[in-house]
Formats: sequence, structure tokens, C-alpha cells
Amino acid sequence: MNVRVRKIGNQLEEVVEVQCYEVTEEVREIVHFVKSRQGQLTGNMDGRQYEIAVMDIYYIEAIDNRAFIYCAKDVYETKEKLYALEGELEDKSFLRVSKSTLLNLMKVTAIKPGFNSRFIAVLQNGEEVIISRKYVPALKEKLAGGKK
Amino acid sequence: MMSGKDFLKQLITSFFVVVTLVSIAIAILGCVFRPEQRFGYEAFFAPVLYGLLSMIPVAIMYSKKELTVKQLYIRKVLQLFSIEVILYLGGYGIENIKTASKSQTVAFGISIVIVYVLADVISGIINANDAKKLTKMLQQYQK
Repeated sequence: MNVRVRKIGNQLEEVVEVQCYEVTEEVREIVHFVKSRQGQLTGNMDGRQYEIAVMDIYYIEAIDNRAFIYCAKDVYETKEKLYALEGELEDKSFLRVSKSTLLNLMKVTAIKPGFNSRFIAVLQNGEEVIISRKYVPALKEKLAGGKK
Repeated sequence: MMSGKDFLKQLITSFFVVVTLVSIAIAILGCVFRPEQRFGYEAFFAPVLYGLLSMIPVAIMYSKKELTVKQLYIRKVLQLFSIEVILYLGGYGIENIKTASKSQTVAFGISIVIVYVLADVISGIINANDAKKLTKMLQQYQK
């Protein structure tokens, strides 16, 4: 596999693209490594521990003093508290959208109106997350501020 | 849960929407049931008075805690019931209901429900507009 690096201007988005004949285990390892460089969280599922790339997380929800990390299909439990995760992820595309939910804004496809002046974030995997009215000003501020 | 400032903003918006809808309702009911009636300028206070009275039960929807959808529905039903009671008492007080026939009294009650639903619909339209703007901002953010 040849490796090429090309410098681009600030106006373009930085992208790591792997061109391959087949998506092999080696290719998956490269992708996993690149994702892991952007941060990871530890989560448990079925008694096993996993390292979850932050960019794969859709949202994190706190239920009954426990926090759950939701990815496209899988759900992991984490020992960390939501407020701690909020601090850890505040410089990434995560935002508190309700008392119990941290949402990854990069995984949202659209925002639609909900009941009683609430909003609903529609995610890439079809799930919906409620955005409380109280957190809308912070959402607007984050969206206006741009991606970091 | 909303902040106090957001709640007040929503209350003021609701008030003006309700006053407009109540004005239309009074005009329609008046044309149907009392087309011969003539008023002085004091009659223009009636929609504002009904609007203010109907804002009182809005407090039912305020909560420091986040409400579930079921709790919201229950509170909405209670709110509508409260508005009916308050406006009937108000209408009785300014002698609109006292001198009304049975059908006029029923029409008054139905018009309250219609105004309530329409006010909600308008609020929904404003919310839908806000959602569209947020989606646009989100798409810019994700680029």
C-alpha cells in the first residue's frame, strides 16, 4: 500500500481516505487507528470492555445514575458521570440537549419540531433525541460558533 | 423545563395570538347570534380582557422539572378546562353569557376550544419555522 500526504488550504476539510480493492482487516485497523486519534471512551457491553471512538458516538444518556453510550447500533455502559463526559467532550461536537443527554451534533441529520415547544434531533441511524427548550440557546450558540 | 425568560417570551407571544383569535371569534359569534347589536368603543377591550383571563391557566404548563409527554397532555387538558371555567365566569361577569341563549352559550364554549387549538397550531407553525432555521445552521456547522 502506497502512502501519500498532500497539503491543502484551510478552506478545505481534512480527510483521511483509504483507497483499497477490498476492505480487509488491515484497512479496518487503519480506520480504527485514525478514529481513535480523535479521542476514545471506554464502555462495557455484555461483560466485555471496549474502546469507543468518539466520532462513532451518537449520543450519551444518563438513566438512573448510569450513563450509556449510544453508537449506530450498539449501546455501551460507562462508569463515567454525564457531567464529567460533558467536560471531556465540550471541545468536540458534543452538546447537552437535555438534563440527561449529550448529543453528537455531527450525527444529526435534521431538527424537527416536537410537542410543547421542544425540538427533536433526527440521527443518522433513524433514532430521535429530544432537545429541551432550555438548551436551545446553547445549541444555537454552538452551531453559530462553528465546528472545532 | 424552560427558563423564566423563555417562558415569559412565550407567554407574551401566546397573549397576542389569543387576543387576535378571540377578536375573530367574537366577530363571528356576534354576526351569527347578535347581528343587530351595536357597541361603544369599550367593546374593543373585550378581546384583551378575554386574552388576559386565558393567560392565567398558562401557569399550569410551567414546571421546574422536565415533563414527560403524558404529563404534558394531562396538563394541557387541565389548562383547557381551566380556561373554559375562567372565561365562562368572565363572560357571565360582563353579562355576555347571562343574557345568552342555550345555543349561544354552547357556541361560546366551542369557540374557546377552537381558539385554544388554533393558538396551539400557530405556536406549532412558529416552532416548525425555528426547527427549519436550526437545521440550516446545523448543516452549515457540519461542513
